[in-house]
Amino acid sequence: MRIQFEPEGFQPPRAGLILLQCIVAGLFFLFVVRFWYLQIHRGEEFARLARENRLRQERIYASRGLLRDRDGRLLAENRPAFGLALVREDCRDIPSTLAQVSEWTGIPLEQLTAKFNQDRQRVKPFEHLLLISDMPFDLLARIENRVLQWPGLEIVTRSKRNYPQGELMAHILGYVAEANEKELEDDKDLNLGDFVGKQGLELVLERRLRGQKGLHQLEVDVLGRQLNKKLVQEPVSGENIDLAIDLELQQVAWEALEDETGCVVAMDPDTGKLLALVTKPSFDNNAFAAGLSLKEWTALRDNPRHPLQNRVIQSVYPPGSVWKLMMAGMLLNEGVNPADSVWCTGEVALGKQVFRCWKKGGHGRVDMMRSLIESCDVYYYQMSDRFGIDKIEAFAKASGFGAPTGIDLPHEKSGLVPSKAWKRRRFGEPWHRGETLNVSIGQGFTLVTPVQVAAFVSALMNGGKLLKPSLLADEDPTVRSSLPFTASGRKMILDGMRLTVNDDRGTAKVLRRPDVVMGGKTGTAQVTKLKMVGEQRVRTEDLAYEHRDHAWIATWGEKAGKRLVVVVMVEHGGHGGSDAGPVARRVYDRFFGPPPGAAPLVPAGQTAPAAPAAPATPGVSAPGQPAQPMQQMQPGPATRPAAPAAQEQPDRQDMQDRPDRPDRQDRQEEGLRTVPTGRSARPAGRDRAAGRGAEASEVEDAREGQHRYDPDTFDPDADSPDGRGGDDGVVPPLRRFQNVAPEDGQ
Amino acid sequence: MSPIDRRLITHMNWGLVAFTALLFLAGVANLYSASGVRMEDGIVVSTFYQKQLLWGLMGLGGMVFFMLFDYRHMKSLALPLFIVTMILLAAIPVFGKVVYGARRWLPLGFMNLQPSEVAKIAILIMGARFLSRSREPLGWKGLFEVLALGALPAGFIVMQPDLGTTLLLLMLLGGITLFHGVRPGVLKTCLVVVPSMLPLAWFRLHDYQKQRIMTFLDPGNDPLGAGYHIIQSQIAIGSGQLWGKGFLGGTQSQLRFLPEKHTDFALAVFGEEWGFIGCVLLVVMFCLFLLSIFNTARDAKDRFGSYLTVGVFFYFFWQILINMGMVMGLMPVVGVPLPFISYGGSATLVNFCLIGLVLNVSMRRFMFKTS
Repeated sequence: MRIQFEPEGFQPPRAGLILLQCIVAGLFFLFVVRFWYLQIHRGEEFARLARENRLRQERIYASRGLLRDRDGRLLAENRPAFGLALVREDCRDIPSTLAQVSEWTGIPLEQLTAKFNQDRQRVKPFEHLLLISDMPFDLLARIENRVLQWPGLEIVTRSKRNYPQGELMAHILGYVAEANEKELEDDKDLNLGDFVGKQGLELVLERRLRGQKGLHQLEVDVLGRQLNKKLVQEPVSGENIDLAIDLELQQVAWEALEDETGCVVAMDPDTGKLLALVTKPSFDNNAFAAGLSLKEWTALRDNPRHPLQNRVIQSVYPPGSVWKLMMAGMLLNEGVNPADSVWCTGEVALGKQVFRCWKKGGHGRVDMMRSLIESCDVYYYQMSDRFGIDKIEAFAKASGFGAPTGIDLPHEKSGLVPSKAWKRRRFGEPWHRGETLNVSIGQGFTLVTPVQVAAFVSALMNGGKLLKPSLLADEDPTVRSSLPFTASGRKMILDGMRLTVNDDRGTAKVLRRPDVVMGGKTGTAQVTKLKMVGEQRVRTEDLAYEHRDHAWIATWGEKAGKRLVVVVMVEHGGHGGSDAGPVARRVYDRFFGPPPGAAPLVPAGQTAPAAPAAPATPGVSAPGQPAQPMQQMQPGPATRPAAPAAQEQPDRQDMQDRPDRPDRQDRQEEGLRTVPTGRSARPAGRDRAAGRGAEASEVEDAREGQHRYDPDTFDPDADSPDGRGGDDGVVPPLRRFQNVAPEDGQ
Repeated sequence: MSPIDRRLITHMNWGLVAFTALLFLAGVANLYSASGVRMEDGIVVSTFYQKQLLWGLMGLGGMVFFMLFDYRHMKSLALPLFIVTMILLAAIPVFGKVVYGARRWLPLGFMNLQPSEVAKIAILIMGARFLSRSREPLGWKGLFEVLALGALPAGFIVMQPDLGTTLLLLMLLGGITLFHGVRPGVLKTCLVVVPSMLPLAWFRLHDYQKQRIMTFLDPGNDPLGAGYHIIQSQIAIGSGQLWGKGFLGGTQSQLRFLPEKHTDFALAVFGEEWGFIGCVLLVVMFCLFLLSIFNTARDAKDRFGSYLTVGVFFYFFWQILINMGMVMGLMPVVGVPLPFISYGGSATLVNFCLIGLVLNVSMRRFMFKTS
C-alpha cells in the first residue's frame, strides 16, 4: 500500500454528520406517519373501496368535426351506432356468453372467439371489448332487454361517420376506418376500435377533426353495476371544417362526365381554391366507414377502371397539345418573335424519321398565335429543335410540372418532365434529338396530372403566381413560386386561348359564349397499347376503345371579375374539343349562369349540329399509315380492327379536300357516335395510359409498402402486369419518336 | 499485500450487508406476488422475480468487484470514467433505443445498457474526488464548479427525457456538497435564489412532466390517469390496514390497472399485502440501512472515502424519499424506482455496486500506510 492517508487524521464535518442523522430521522417519521394515515386512519375506507367497489375510467368519445362545403352543406357527419361490448372482469362465463352472442347475431362462434382473443391483449379487463361495432336496429331491439341478464355484456353507443354525398365526394373526403396496429403504436391517443382518417381529407385533417376524448370516473360494484359517475374531463369536439368545394358545381361536373372515365377540376385562379374536383368512376366511401369485406375491397381494387384512383392528382397523362401553352411561353422567353412563322407542310423529317403534324396537308404559314389556335405540331417541332430538351425541361419544371402541387390530399403524383439525365438514369441511353420533338407537343415521356394543368392555367391568369391548390375555405392562398413567363408572354398565351375558343378555326369553339370571355386549349394525348398487339383474345371493339386517345381541355372563363379555371380530362375520350369541351362548358354554364338567349348545353355533344355524316374513326390513334418505319411496333393494320383502319384514310382525305375547314369538332363528335361498340362495351383489359407505368417506376411511389388491405396501400401499377417493368408500361425510347405525332384534333 | 488481509473481513460493514440482503429478498418476494397478479389476469406469466434474482446475482458479482481494490485508486480513475460516461450519454441520441417515448437505452446486443445508470456512479466518484480536495467550506467559486460538474451529465439525461434520474444526479451532488459544507452566506443566498428560479425551470419541462406536477397539486382531477394511479396505489396501500392481506393475498388489488406495478409502484403491492406492520418494518429497515452507510461515512479513514460513502447515502436516500412519497401521494409521479424493491436490471446492478463501494471504504478504515 503506497497510498497515503491524510497525515492529520481525517475528521468528517460535524455539521454534515448531524445533517445525515436528521434526514434519516425525518424519513422515518414522515413515512411512518403517512402509512399510519393511509392504513390505519383511512384504512377502513380504502379497504371498502378495494373490497366492494372499484373505480373505473370510461372514455367519452369526442365527436369528430363535420365537413361542409363552402355554403355549409354537410359533406361528412356523424350518426350514432350501437355496438355490443364485453367487460371481461364482470363476465362470469366468457365462453357461454360468447356462444349466446353468436346465437343472437348469427355470427359464427369461432369468429367471435377469434376477435375476442385478438383484442383482449389491448383491452383492459374492466374496459369495453367491442364484439360487434354497428348493430342493425332490429337486432338491437331484439336483444336490448336480454343483454341485462348477461353480466359483462353491454350495449355501447359510438358515433359513426356518414357521408351524405357518397361517391360524389369520396376522393376528396376519403374515409375513416378502425385504426390498425401500426396507427395504434404510433399514436398513443388512439385506443383499439377508434376510427381514424385513412384517406383524403379525413386523413390529412385527422388532427383537427379528431378532438379530444373525455373521461368519466365510475364507481362500480363487483357485478359491474354502476354506483356513481363523475365527469373528470369534458370531451372536446373536433373542429368543423368548411371546404372550398361548391357542392352544386361538383354535382354539375359529376353529371357532365356521364359514364366516362375521367376527371374535372375547377379552380379559382386568384386563390387556388378548388370549387370542384370530380373523378370518375368513384366509390362509396360510406362502405369503407362501415367496414369493407375482403371481397368488396378486392372488387374495388381490381376494377379495370380503377375507381379508387383520384385521377385529378394520382393519374398522370401525356398532356398532348395543352403542353403547347407552356412551350409557347418558353419560346417567348427565349426571344422568339411571335410573328415569326414556320411553313407547315404537314411533316418534318429528321434523319430517317418523319414527324407529322396532325393535319396531313399541313397548316401552311403558321406563327405563334396560329400555332396555338390550330394546334400546329410542326411549329413546335421546328422551334423545339432549335432550343433543345434542356431548355424545355427547365421551363416546364419552373411552370410547375414534374413536381407535386402540394394539394392537401395524400399520394399526389409528380408527373414527369423528361430530361437527358433522367433518360440516362432510366434507360442508360443518351437523349435523341427526335425525342425533343415528341416532348415539344406533349407526347413522348411527358406526363402531367390534371391538377398541375389547372394550377398552371390559373397562374397564367393571376399574374404568374403558381398557387397551391386549396381544398379548405379558410386557408390563405399559398404561392409556391412564380411562373417564368413575362407579363406580355402571359397575355399572348391567354389571347391565344381566347382565340382558340372564338376563332373560326379554333379547336375549343364549344365553349363560346357571348357574355363570358372564355379561353381554352384542347389536347389529345396519344395512347400506346402495344401489349395488345397479337393478343388474339382481345376483341376488336375493345381494342378500339383502348387505343382511343385521351381528351384534354384546359380552359378559363371571366365575367365581371368572376373567374374560373376548368380542366377536363377524359380517358380514351377521343378529342379534347369534342369530348372534354362539353363537360367544361356545362361547368361554366352553372358557374356563370346559363348563357343569354340560349338553352344551356345539356348532354355532352348535342349542341353541335350534326355535320355531314362522314365516316370517321373514333379517336384516330396516331399510327395507321402504312409507310411508317417500325410499323410492327405499333398496332398496325394487321392487328388493328379492319373497319376503323379503313375508315381512317377517307376521313383524312376528306379533311384535306375541304378547303373551308369544316367544324372538325362536330365531325369528330359525329364520328364517335358512329362506332357504337367502342363506347358501350368497356374493355375488360387495363385501360391505363401507357405512361403511367413509366411514371410509377421513375417517380417514387409514396403508396408503396403499406398495409395490404388498406386502400391507401393500393398501387394499381403494381397490380398490373403490364404496368411496371413491362414493355408496355415503360415505353421503350425508340417507339415514341418513330410515331407520327398524334393527330391533334383539338 | 498478502492475498487477503483478515482485517479487511473483520472491519467490513456487516450490518450493511445484512440490511441489503434483507431488503433485496423482500423485494424479490414482493415481485413474485406482483407477478401472481398478472397470472390471474391470464395475460402473461411473468418471470420478473426470476429475472430480478438473476440481476441480484450479477449485482453480487459487481459488489465483490467494487470491494477488491483499494478505493483510493479511484481518485485517479474518476476523470477517465467521467469522460467515458459523457461519451456514452452523447451516443444515446444517435444509437439510442426508444422505450415508452424516451430514448434512454443503448442496445448492446445481449442487453440494453442505460448509460444514465453508469453516470450515477461516475458523478458520485467525480463529485467525491472534487469536493474532497480541501476541507474548507465551499464559496461561490467552488459551488459553481460543482454545479458545472453536475450540469454536463444532467443536461444529457434531461434531454432523453428522464427527469427522475436528472434530479437524482443533481440532488446526490447537492447532498455531498451540503455534507462537505457551504459558507453560511453562500448558503443563505442560495436558499433565496434557487426557489425563485423554479418558475423558469417550469417552462423547460415536457408537457407530461408539467401534467404530473399539476396532478400532484390537484390529484383528484387528472385526465391522463397519473392521478388515477396515485389514487389506486393509495387505495391498495390503505386497504392493507394494520396486518395486511398476507403474502399473495393482494391479488384482487386495484393495482392490476397499474402498468408499472412491478417497477415504480411495487411498494403499493407490498403495502397491500403486509399492512401497516410490514410497512413500518420496511421503513425501519431502510432507515437502518441508511444508518449503516452513515456509520461508514463517519468512520472512514480519509475524506475521499467518506464523501464517496455520503454520495451513496444520498443516492439511496433520495430514491427512497421520492419513490415512497410518490406511491403514497406525497409527491408528483416521477419515474424513480424504490431501491431493491422495484424491478429493474441496471438499477439493481448499480445498487449492489454502490454497496460494494461502501463496503470497500469500511473494510479499509483501519489500514495504515503500508503493510
